[in-house]
Amino acid sequence: MWLISTLIAKKINKVIKLLGRGSGFTFPGHVVLKIFPNILSSVRYPRGIILVSGTNGKTTTTKLITHLLESFGLGVVHNSTGANLLNGLVSTVLMGTNLMGKPLGNVAVLEVDEFALPLALKHLSPTALLLLNLSRDQLDRYGETDIILDKWKETVPGLSDTTILVCDSEQKEFHDIAEIFSGRTFYFDSDPTFLEKTKLHGTYNAKNVNAAVLTLTLLGYAQSGIEQGLEEFSVAYGRGEVITRENVDFQIFLAKNPASFNQNLDVLSSGKVAGKSILFVLNDNIPDGRDVSWIYDISPDKIKDACEGKEIYVSGTRALDMAVRLSYAGVNTRTENISENLSSSISRLYSDSRDASVTILPNYSAMLETREILIGRKIL
Amino acid sequence: MSKLIIAYFYPSYLNLYGDTGNVEILRERARRRGIDVEVVYIDPTVSLSSEAVKYFSIVFMGGGPDSGQKLMYEDLYKNKGPYLREYVEKGGISLFICGSYQLMGHYYKSADGTILNGLGIFDLYTEHFGNHKPRCIGNVTCEISEELRHDPVFNSVNKVGRTLVGFENHGGRTYLGNSLLPLGKIITGYGNNAEDASEGVLYKNSIGSYLHGPLLAKNPHLADYLIAKGLGMDSLPELDDTLIISAHTAAGNLKQ
Repeated sequence: MWLISTLIAKKINKVIKLLGRGSGFTFPGHVVLKIFPNILSSVRYPRGIILVSGTNGKTTTTKLITHLLESFGLGVVHNSTGANLLNGLVSTVLMGTNLMGKPLGNVAVLEVDEFALPLALKHLSPTALLLLNLSRDQLDRYGETDIILDKWKETVPGLSDTTILVCDSEQKEFHDIAEIFSGRTFYFDSDPTFLEKTKLHGTYNAKNVNAAVLTLTLLGYAQSGIEQGLEEFSVAYGRGEVITRENVDFQIFLAKNPASFNQNLDVLSSGKVAGKSILFVLNDNIPDGRDVSWIYDISPDKIKDACEGKEIYVSGTRALDMAVRLSYAGVNTRTENISENLSSSISRLYSDSRDASVTILPNYSAMLETREILIGRKIL
Repeated sequence: MSKLIIAYFYPSYLNLYGDTGNVEILRERARRRGIDVEVVYIDPTVSLSSEAVKYFSIVFMGGGPDSGQKLMYEDLYKNKGPYLREYVEKGGISLFICGSYQLMGHYYKSADGTILNGLGIFDLYTEHFGNHKPRCIGNVTCEISEELRHDPVFNSVNKVGRTLVGFENHGGRTYLGNSLLPLGKIITGYGNNAEDASEGVLYKNSIGSYLHGPLLAKNPHLADYLIAKGLGMDSLPELDDTLIISAHTAAGNLKQ
C-alpha cells in the first residue's frame, strides 16, 4: 500500500511541478485517497503528530512549531504550503515518506482546516491538538461557526486521553470543549513576553507564539532552546512577510476575515509598519468565499486609524466593493488608484513608491496572486 | 431637519454577514447631509413602551446564528414583539434582513418538522426542506417592485435605477401570503423560495429581504428612501455616489 501510494503521490507531484508552477500538494493526496481511503490511519511518527486548527494563525503557528522542532535537530513533516484539507494532509505525509512507508521525519506538524478537523481526527491520533480560535470565515462555504463548533464537540470525546489539548483561554467555547474531553487541556493567553523575542507583531501573534511555546514545553522541550529558536524565526509567507523588489519593500499581511483584518489594522496603526501606502486587495474566488459582505464587519474606526495619512490603493475582483466599504469608513480612494487588475495596481503602486515601503492587505487568493506577481512564481 | 433615530435590534445576537453595515451606511449617509443621527441599541436588557417606539425613525434587525437567535427569541416574542407590531402597523419604517425577516412571518418550519412561531406581522411563512432542496447561496440581482419604484419619495432619491443587488445565503424558503407584495422580482438568484421569482417583502413602510452585501452598501437608493421616509421628508440633498453606482452596475454582471 505504501509503496504504491508513495509512488503515485511523488509521480503526480512531479508531473504537476513540471507542467505548471504549482507545488502540486493537493491532487496526489486526492488520487491516493480514492484508492486507499484509510492511508493516514497507519501513519506513525517517533515523536508524534501535532495538529493545529482554528480560523486564524494556523500557518504562522505550524511554521513556528516546525522551526522550533528543527532547531532541536528533529526532522519535521509539515504542510508548509497550507494544503490543509484531508487530501493535502495525505500528500504531505506521503511526500515525507520513503517507499517502504517509513517517515522521513521524526515528527509531523500539520495545520488542519477547521471544517476538515473532525475527518482528520478519524484518521490521525495527535500527541497534541492546538485549537487557536474560531471566528467568522467564509460563511457561504462553511455555514455558521456554530456548525463547526458542534462538529468539533462531536469529535472531541473520541480523542485518546493521552492527547494534550492546547486552547486559547479567552475563547469561552473552548472551555466547553475541554469539559467533554477525557484528557488534559492547557490554555495559552496573549502575554507578550515570548512575542517580543520574535519579529512578529500583534496580540494575535502573541497568542500564536504562546500556543507554540506551551505545546513544546508540555512535550518536554527545553525552555532555553525554545527561546533561542524564537529569536531566529522568520514570518510565514504572506503573514507580515516583506518582499523587496528593486528598491521597494512590499510587506504583505493576509487579511482574510473580519478578525484577521482588524488585527492587521491594529498592527498598521501601531506605527511598527513602515508603509507609506496601503493596497487593499479583495477577491471573491472560491477559496476566499464568494460573499464579500464580511468587509462590513471590519471596524470602520480601525480602517480610519490605519489609513490616516496614507495613500490608498484598491484592487482585486471586488475592488469596487472594497473602495465603497472604505468610503463608508471615511477613507476615500482616488479613482485612478482603483483597479480590478492586480498586476496594474502593483505596477502603479511600485512606480508611485520609489525608495519606500508599502503595505498590502490581501485576502487569501489575492495574497497568493500578489506573491506570484512580486516573486514571479506560484507558491501553491 | 429633525434627528434620525435608528433603533438597531439585537446587535450582538443578530450579527451575521456584515448586516451591521446597514446601520453604519444609514448613519453615514445621513451624517454627510448634516442630519443629526442617533443609533439606539435594543437588546433584552432594554425595555420598550408604546411611547418609546414613536421616537424611532427607522427600525433595523439583521440575521444571526442559531445560537444568537435562540438567545433573543424569547425576548422578541414576549417583550419586544407587541411594540414592533404596533410600530409596523402604524406605518413605522423598518428593515428586516434574513433571519429577522423570517421571524416577522407566521412561522419557521425546520427540516425535522419543528415549528418556531414568528411574530406574524408579515403574512408569510418559511420552510426548510433539509437536504431535499439546496441552500440558496449566491449573488442576486432583482428588479424593484413597481409599487416601490413609483413611490414619490423613492422616485425622488433614486439615482441608481430599477435594480437591487446583494448576496443571499439561506436554507429556509419563504412564501408570501396573497395580500403581500415582494420587494423585488428576481433577475439572477433564488430570492424568497427559488420558485416564484419573488425576493423580500413590502408591507406598509416595512421591508423584509434575504439580501446581504450588506443590502444598503450598493443600493444607496434604498438607503436614502429609508432615511427620507424616516425623517418624513419628500427628498434629500444629493450625495456623490459615482463610485457606489459603478459598484452597483458591476454587481449586476456577477455570476450567481
